Formats: sequence, C-alpha cells, structure tokens
Amino acid sequence: MKFLDHLEEWLIATLLGAATLVVFMAVLHRYLSGLDIPVMQDFLISLNTSWAQELCVIMGVWMAKFGAAYGVRTGIHVGVDVAINRLDARWRARFIVIGLLAGALFTATVGALGANMMLHTSPDQTSEVMELPMRYVYLCLPLGSWLMCFRFLQVLVAFMRTGELPQHDHAYVEGLDEEIADAGKGATP
Amino acid sequence: MNAAIIFILLILLMLTGMPISIALGLTVLSFLFLMTDVPIDAVALKLFSGIEKFEIMAIPFFILAGNFLTHGGVARRMINFATSMVGHWHGGLALAGVLACALFAAVSGSSPATVVAIGSIILPAMVRQGYPKAFGAGVITTSGALGILIPPSIVMVMYSVTTNTSVGQLFMAGVVPGLMLAFLLGLTTWYLARKHNYPRMPKASWSERWVTFRKSVWGLMLIVVVMGGIYSGKFTPTEAAAMSAVYAFFIAVFVYKDLKLSQIPKVLLDSASLSAMLLYIITNAMLFSFLMTSEQIPQAMAAWITGQGMGVVAFLLMTNIVLLVAGNFMEPSSIVLILAPILFPVAMTLGIDPVHFGILIVVNMEVGMCHPPVGLNLYVASGITKMGISELTVAVLPWLCTMLAFLVLVTFVPQISLWLPNLIYK
Repeated sequence: MKFLDHLEEWLIATLLGAATLVVFMAVLHRYLSGLDIPVMQDFLISLNTSWAQELCVIMGVWMAKFGAAYGVRTGIHVGVDVAINRLDARWRARFIVIGLLAGALFTATVGALGANMMLHTSPDQTSEVMELPMRYVYLCLPLGSWLMCFRFLQVLVAFMRTGELPQHDHAYVEGLDEEIADAGKGATP
Repeated sequence: MNAAIIFILLILLMLTGMPISIALGLTVLSFLFLMTDVPIDAVALKLFSGIEKFEIMAIPFFILAGNFLTHGGVARRMINFATSMVGHWHGGLALAGVLACALFAAVSGSSPATVVAIGSIILPAMVRQGYPKAFGAGVITTSGALGILIPPSIVMVMYSVTTNTSVGQLFMAGVVPGLMLAFLLGLTTWYLARKHNYPRMPKASWSERWVTFRKSVWGLMLIVVVMGGIYSGKFTPTEAAAMSAVYAFFIAVFVYKDLKLSQIPKVLLDSASLSAMLLYIITNAMLFSFLMTSEQIPQAMAAWITGQGMGVVAFLLMTNIVLLVAGNFMEPSSIVLILAPILFPVAMTLGIDPVHFGILIVVNMEVGMCHPPVGLNLYVASGITKMGISELTVAVLPWLCTMLAFLVLVTFVPQISLWLPNLIYK
C-alpha cells in the first residue's frame, strides 16, 4: 500500500516536472536555432522538436488521471456542502457515504468504459507525431479511474471507522510561520 | 423538458455534497443511459479528448509557477515594497495591504493563499498600529480576490478553453479592470481611513523604495514574462506558462533562496494534485457541455431569451444575478466551466463581445469569493482573524459595495475591458 502511494506521488510529480521541461526545451530550441552561430545552429536545426507539444499533452493527461486519484486521498475534490452541513450528524454522515459511493460508482464505470475503448482501439492506430500506439496511451483511462475508485473506497472505509475525511487546505502558504514570527518580534511591518 | 430533468438531476446530485466533477459526470452518464440512445462508449473517448489540448496545459504550468512563489518570503517582500510606496498616505498600512494583495495574488494565482499570506503578516501589524481588526479584515478579504482578474489568471484560461476565446486577449483585457478595481478598493480604504483618522506611516525615502522594489521585482517579473511573451508573440500562452514556471523555479531556489532543492518534489506534487483536480472538473464539464449541445439546450435557451424580448441589458443583468447566486455555492472554476457553455451562445446571439463577457464573468467570480454565506475568502479570513462569518460580513461591506458598483460599471461599459486588447490586437 505504501508502495502504491509513493508510486502515485512520484508519477504525477515527475510527469508535471517533465512536461514543463519539455515545453521549456522546445521554446529554447526554437530561439537558439534562430541564432546565427556556426556548427551549433546546424546542429540545432537538425534536431526536431515537433513532438514536444504532443508529448506534453499526453503527459498532462496522464498526470490528470492519476493526480485525480491522488486528490481523493488528500480530499482536494470539493463539492457543494452547504446543504449537508446543516443536517444533523447522522444524516450528514449518510450523505457523505452516498457521495463517496457515487464517486466509486462513477469512476468504476468510467474505468470500464475506458478499458473497453482501449481494447477496441486497433493496435495500428498511433499518435500523430511520435507514432505512439494509442492503445497504450489510453491505458491511463482505466488505470487512473480504477485507482480513483479504489481511493474512494479507501476513504469510505476510513470514514466508517473513524468518522474523519481527508481535508485539503486550499490556503496553505509555505514559509509563512517564519515570517509571522519575525514580524511578531517587532520588526518594522 | 429534458433540460429540466438534466438540471434537476445535477442540482440534486450536487446537494448531496459529492465532488462537483462526480456530480457532473454522473448526471451525464445516467441521462445518456436512461433517456437516450447515444452510445455511452462515446463518453470514454471524450474523457480523453476533453483535455487533450495544448491550450489546457497552461493551467498546470501556471499553477506550478504560482506555487513556487506562494511563499511567506515573497509576501513579505511585496508588503515591504507596497508599504514604502503608499504607507505615508491616510490608512497607509491598509493601502499597502491592498497593493500587496494585488501584487501577490497576480503572482501566486490563488485568492485564498493571498488572504492568508498577506493577512497573517499585515493584520497583526495593523492591530498594533491601532486599526480596528474589522477594518483590516475587510481590506484583505476583498483585495485578496484581485488575483483572478490580474493576469495570469487560471479562471480566464478556463473561460478561454470552454468558449474558444483567445487567452492572450483575455489577459490583456484583464489589465485595465484589474488596476481599476485595485484603485477603487484603495480609494475606499483611503476615504474610510481619512474619515476615522487612522494612522499614517513616515514617508519612505526614494532609496528605501528602490531597495524594496529591487527585492520584490524578481517575483513581479513573472507577470512581465507572461504578458511580454504573449504580447510580443514570442510564446503561445501555454509556452508562456511553462516559461514562467521555469522562471519561478529559478527565482525561488536561486535568487530568493526561499525554497531548498529538496522541497521541489513537494511543490511539484501539490501543483500536480491541484491541476489534476481542475482538469478532472474540466473533463466532466466537457462531458456535460457535450450533453447540453447534443440536447440543443443552449440554442433553446438563446431562442427563449430572445423570444422574451430580452435585450442586452436585461440579459447581462440576469447573467450577473445567476453568477452571483452560483457564487454562493461553488468555486470560480466550476461555475465558469458549467455556466459559460450555456450563457456564452446566448451572449453571442445578442452580439456581446466574447472578451467583454469573459471579463464580466471573472469580476463576478471575484465578488462571489467575498460575499456571504460561503465566499471562500471570507472563510479563510475568518480562520486567520478568528472572527465569525457574520462579523466579517459586516466588516467587508464597504469594499463589497465598491466591488458591486464596479461590477455594474464593467457590465455596462465594455470599453473598460476592450480598450487595451483592441489597441493591441486590432
């Protein structure tokens, strides 16, 4: 389980970082190859970076699918909770369970639809530039969705046991405590 | 009839408190499955192709860039700079709060994070100088919302992908209203401060201003990288976003040294998870708008509204009310993704400029973040000030009224939004 958690975190962080670098490189390449420097210019022009956009998009989609599963675990997917927060604790808990089950149902269905689509994609069908087999590109749909389904069930079990839901803090700011401590010491505001 | 079923189903599912993305997706699946012959297999492909666009990738990159600079140290530099510029006027520290919020929000891209970062540092200082707590809370809660109007703005990217409007033009269009609203919020603060005779600070010398400017300028350059890159045509918006992420990384790690290299994986993970959440709503909202289109609901709405003899003025007024109500329940991105595809076709039939309509929606979202019962900024501000929501509601009132007046102005004077993009693009 720990292993799966780490793999998930490692995967989405790496995909985002790599996608950023790929686009950065492509832009850099476009401008550097416009500079009139002998040898380097010829070499740069010989490199082809037309695949960059496609790779970036595919990495983005994979990040989105697995990141959504990670988000269930950290409670980042929010809903409209004004209504249920006004109910008494027992009914509120019931609606939370319904919500989590609905999440599991939806992601399980979507995972099955994705798997079905993947299997019906011809192995010859490839992406436009890099010619990756689309079949494997689509793999993120069933894998991501089923992982998300599993996460919903995990949160559900934890909620039944402890009555607690993961809470994401949308307003967390890194390094703020030190600044507040400094300001409190009477430094000029 | 079908439209009614779809909306009732969606609202019922949402009221159970399940994630908005799931409510959208389940509405689509159950409607397609129970009421139509549309094969559900079509849904699977949409889940992939919905976000398979290079333009959408601007969202994760902007989030990453913002997260690198969402740091207490950056907030402190912005506050110092703002204080040195406007601190000597009436209500100096509060004015500095408005300015610092505008700057920090533009760079970090997150309204709640702005309220927390600027608020936690500046509010205690204000109280020490003798301001009433409610005054400071009102300033910060409302000014924190400025971020989604000042580019780079993720809500604008969302609007652009759902309506195929140019991101570059939207960003340009946000500049004038953003500065104007910041000015108006400042003016309200200044007026109240003068009336109640709140403290002023000693005037900073130009050399002090230069020092604080030099320290904050690296963060502010992020806006220049994005806007300059898009404006000069050097980058597409997505490329500009990726460049700004690399830039922000470089500044945070090597120039400001706020972040250690070992903290980078956590920043990446947090950004990826936030972007994935937004992209998940986008996918499901795209499914939803696919259902709307296949049921021809936007067209029916457009026909109904023009049939009612509703003119531009009445429609815009209605749009404002619908958006303000929606702002009570959902956060900005979800509202834009759900309502823009429905309202946009009507706006187009009525001949409203797509960019102006986008800015109108964004300003609405800003107001929605600060007004009760569930404005996100109110909640966050309540957390840091330890004030109740109803107490805060009273506190933000003067600024909220300013924002509402500004909303009316933006709604009915399109030139405010369109002047700059027209100047540049036409």
